[in-house]
Amino acid sequence: MSEEMSIESYLAQGGVLTNPSNVPPRYRAELLKMMATFVDSELAGAAGFADIINEGPGIKSRIAAAKIVLEKSDSAEKVLRIMGEFGADTERYADHHPWTARLERDADIGQSRSKHDMRLAVFNYPLEGWADAVVMNLLMGRAVAVQLEELSHVSYQPLAEAFRAIRPVETRHAELAEEGLMQLVEAQGAAALQEQADYWWPRVAASFGQEASGKFEGLRAMGLRRTPNEELKASWQQEAAAVLSKAGLKPAG
Amino acid sequence: MARFHDLEVTDVRKTIRDAVVVTLKPVNGAAEEFDFTQGQYLTFRRDFDGEELRRSYSICAGTGEGILQVGIKRVDGGAFSTWANTELKAGDTLQAMPPMGTFFTPLDGAAEKHYLGFAGGSGITPVLSILKTTLAAEPASSFTLVYANKGVNTIMFREELEDLKNLYMGRFNVIHVLESDAQEIDLFTGLVTEEKCAQLFEHWIDIQSVDTAFICGPEPMMLGIAAALRSAGLDDSQIKFELFASAQPGRAKRKASAADAASSANQTKAAITLDGATQTIEMGKDMTLLDAALENAMDAPYACKAGVCSTCRCKVLEGEVEMVANHALEDYEVEKGYVLSCQAYPVTDSVVVDYDQ
Repeated sequence: MSEEMSIESYLAQGGVLTNPSNVPPRYRAELLKMMATFVDSELAGAAGFADIINEGPGIKSRIAAAKIVLEKSDSAEKVLRIMGEFGADTERYADHHPWTARLERDADIGQSRSKHDMRLAVFNYPLEGWADAVVMNLLMGRAVAVQLEELSHVSYQPLAEAFRAIRPVETRHAELAEEGLMQLVEAQGAAALQEQADYWWPRVAASFGQEASGKFEGLRAMGLRRTPNEELKASWQQEAAAVLSKAGLKPAG
Repeated sequence: MARFHDLEVTDVRKTIRDAVVVTLKPVNGAAEEFDFTQGQYLTFRRDFDGEELRRSYSICAGTGEGILQVGIKRVDGGAFSTWANTELKAGDTLQAMPPMGTFFTPLDGAAEKHYLGFAGGSGITPVLSILKTTLAAEPASSFTLVYANKGVNTIMFREELEDLKNLYMGRFNVIHVLESDAQEIDLFTGLVTEEKCAQLFEHWIDIQSVDTAFICGPEPMMLGIAAALRSAGLDDSQIKFELFASAQPGRAKRKASAADAASSANQTKAAITLDGATQTIEMGKDMTLLDAALENAMDAPYACKAGVCSTCRCKVLEGEVEMVANHALEDYEVEKGYVLSCQAYPVTDSVVVDYDQ
């Protein structure tokens, strides 16, 4: 019972941490970055999508869009609450930044984040109308599902539980987007939507991070990651390409 | 940010030689804040020689008992636990934050579930709260407890567990595993390891019927049990952990005092440690520590850059810095030398900061 074990080797062997008091400093930093990336992406995603609600064709699609905005805000709050247990000022955090801010449509930022928040780069591009929002939400929704499957195994138990609760909600958003896409294809044909798919495909792909990330091993040792970026991206590419082809669309080459 | 409240100590009772059960009553109308869920913990704070220490202890009472109790086992060299075991008495006032933690699953009066708990030593405290609450709230559910201790005389709550066995006959089962005291059955002697669990699952515990497992104990024990549970087919969502670092230092080190005063130059020599490597850089005093680190290709952590999220926290070991905004660190952290590097500008001509502490 009195066997001593360092937190680092406990984590390396798959151990789980359960509250802020037993989290080492560098783990704390990586965990907070991970949470901030998720919260900022959800808040920026919700804010961007909110502007699109009124462009939805018919009440049903507007309800779907509004539901997505509501639930993404709710998912952000679930994770922000955990950041609060580490000391983050949650009220100020939610309001400290203009989440609707976007760059130019043709800005070439690759994987870089803006200087002021941690949203994934893809959330810095503006949505241009309903069809564009549907395609983006479909491709990014599938990517989020892949990433949340990975993140629902993080070694910080409260966050793993939050991600497990969020995963089906976000998966449903991608399904709603798929339904929306099929309606658009019926109304205007697939060819009219290929341009949007070509625009978003590489930008969503970039959200999986760099292929050979030196950080990965460190994060894996802390139990914060288990699958390399390129594997996650490959499984997204496969799933997303299958959904696109159902709609008669092609992934960007 | 969570606030501390005053709690009156109404009783301090020894359970074994080096552990006490402390009964608390919220005062000044804070009772509602201390409504807890089974398995949660309280974080206390107290000043020791001018240094604030914070320690977390699990609630051991069930939610239906109408009482707030924590168990505190004395840790060698632990300032707070030693004080609680030797000096704390009824009538004293303690300060604690409202209950926190997610070491529980929702209860349902109609459920017919089988729960399995593992506790090592003082890890029994939250598990006791869970099993008492669950057995009372779910009349058709059962609970099996595997309880690891050094020997018979170090078993916390031994009599209370016997009473519970009688009260919930047929629904509550305890298996005591003792490290050094021999028992009639060999299997119940030694450490609770992965192999021991696998053996328990063969004849003593119907692992197939288990809905949720709770584990609270030292790190190696948690790893072994979790591995055995996964091999037996449980998934992550069915295994709940609670870990309190056994390596919590008894006393925090004092902050290094500022050696040199500010001088005329607008430049600072900053030694910045990150991931075990130290880089010394020249930086302007009009630049934040975080930006200086980033400019020098160090992968310093940050998120909001607005002083609200605390991701960029680091510790100042030498020299002085000034934070222009701080919405995330508490006074006691600042006193220990922590700063938000996105908001911290050097004041002295040299500073030494560490992201690894």
